[in-house]
Amino acid sequence: MAGSALKRCPLEGRVIVITSGKGGVGKTTATASIGAALALEGKQVAVVDMDIGLRNLDVVMGLENRIVFNVVDAAKGKCKIKQAAIKDRRIENLYLIPASQSDNKDILTPEAMVRLCKELRKEFDYILLDCPAGIERGFENSVAPADEAVVICTPEVSSVRDADRVIGLLYARSITPRLIVNRIVPEMVENGDMLSHEDVVEVLSVELLGLVQLDNQVVISTNTGVPLVLQKDSEAGQAFRRIAQRLDGQEDLPIEIPQTQKSFWKKLGIIIGIGK
Amino acid sequence: MLNGWLKKLIGKSDSKGVAKKRLQFTLIYDKLEVSDDILIKLHQDIVDVISRYFEIDKESLKLDIRKSEGRSALVVNTPILSAKRVCPPPKGGV
Ligand SMILES: Nc1ncnc2c1ncn2[C@@H]1O[C@H](COP(=O)(O)OP(=O)(O)OP(=O)(O)O)[C@@H](O)[C@H]1O
Ligand SMILES: [Mg+2]
Repeated sequence: MAGSALKRCPLEGRVIVITSGKGGVGKTTATASIGAALALEGKQVAVVDMDIGLRNLDVVMGLENRIVFNVVDAAKGKCKIKQAAIKDRRIENLYLIPASQSDNKDILTPEAMVRLCKELRKEFDYILLDCPAGIERGFENSVAPADEAVVICTPEVSSVRDADRVIGLLYARSITPRLIVNRIVPEMVENGDMLSHEDVVEVLSVELLGLVQLDNQVVISTNTGVPLVLQKDSEAGQAFRRIAQRLDGQEDLPIEIPQTQKSFWKKLGIIIGIGK
Repeated sequence: MLNGWLKKLIGKSDSKGVAKKRLQFTLIYDKLEVSDDILIKLHQDIVDVISRYFEIDKESLKLDIRKSEGRSALVVNTPILSAKRVCPPPKGGV
């Protein structure tokens, strides 16, 4: 990481790809939430939907009906970056560059993305790329301009296997990724029916960035388009805020392990002195 | 480990233990997989190298990757027609 960070001039923004290999594990959710959380920390943030033809980040962020230009237009120079970047309605300093819905993935090239990100670095502190599932062209386009990578997986065999593959591909490009384990169900982990984050980290031998539990608020947030990180009672939202803070240099912020309700009450009992 | 054993004893499930074992094996197997392109290239390179020292029947050289429980072996099998008499000159940059 430090190696690739050194390539940039210190005043330029960091390009971070959010990827997973397997589909539906939470890349878009993570991109929207980490992007929003970084902006709340006072950073200038652009989140870019790289899923050409299947755009999603716009609806997750509630910005779907403000789209005029998109990432393909910006990469091909058909519009200015300022025209393609949609300002978030609720969060200051947060911008979305949407995917195009009509084009084919092959319309973008890794070189065009490197060029576009070079421009974006001048305007933003963070550029988060929401990578499409798979390891084909869309992956190449998203990884080529990236300085850093965040790999998302869920505690399931198929997802961890795909994460391993993607981690290998990132290493081959001299990127040392960090891992987020998403959709953790603490009760199942406690019962021995779900891989714990320790298991996942051991199998993948990769640095852990954060842990996010399965949280109904995620669906509620996508229903309404209200950012997850603004929901105070959302465990997942708060986890993403801590992840953003760790990304933003607060490396010694501890990683919180999702707890079962039971162990929460047990702890509370111990604190107030009624625990057995 | 002890945890899993205890759980079995008191009738709790340990499906994650199964998941972890399967994962570890799968990842090892995945990494042993070699693409056809690489195998063809390797075959060519091996033929080239051996041919510097021996007269071989290039057509019947066989290259095989044999797998068993987390290990794999590269097996090269070729009939030798004759040995070359002169030591080949060192070859620069393949
Ligand atoms: N922590 C979570 N708790 C509950 N639901 C979640 C969580 N994370 C993601 N989801 C849900 O899982 C689904 C997939 O999430 P998301 O769209 O972020 O995945 P993705 O990796 O971007 O998918 P794709 O590969 O299709 O782009 C969504 O319906 C989302 O609401
Ligand atoms: Mg997505």
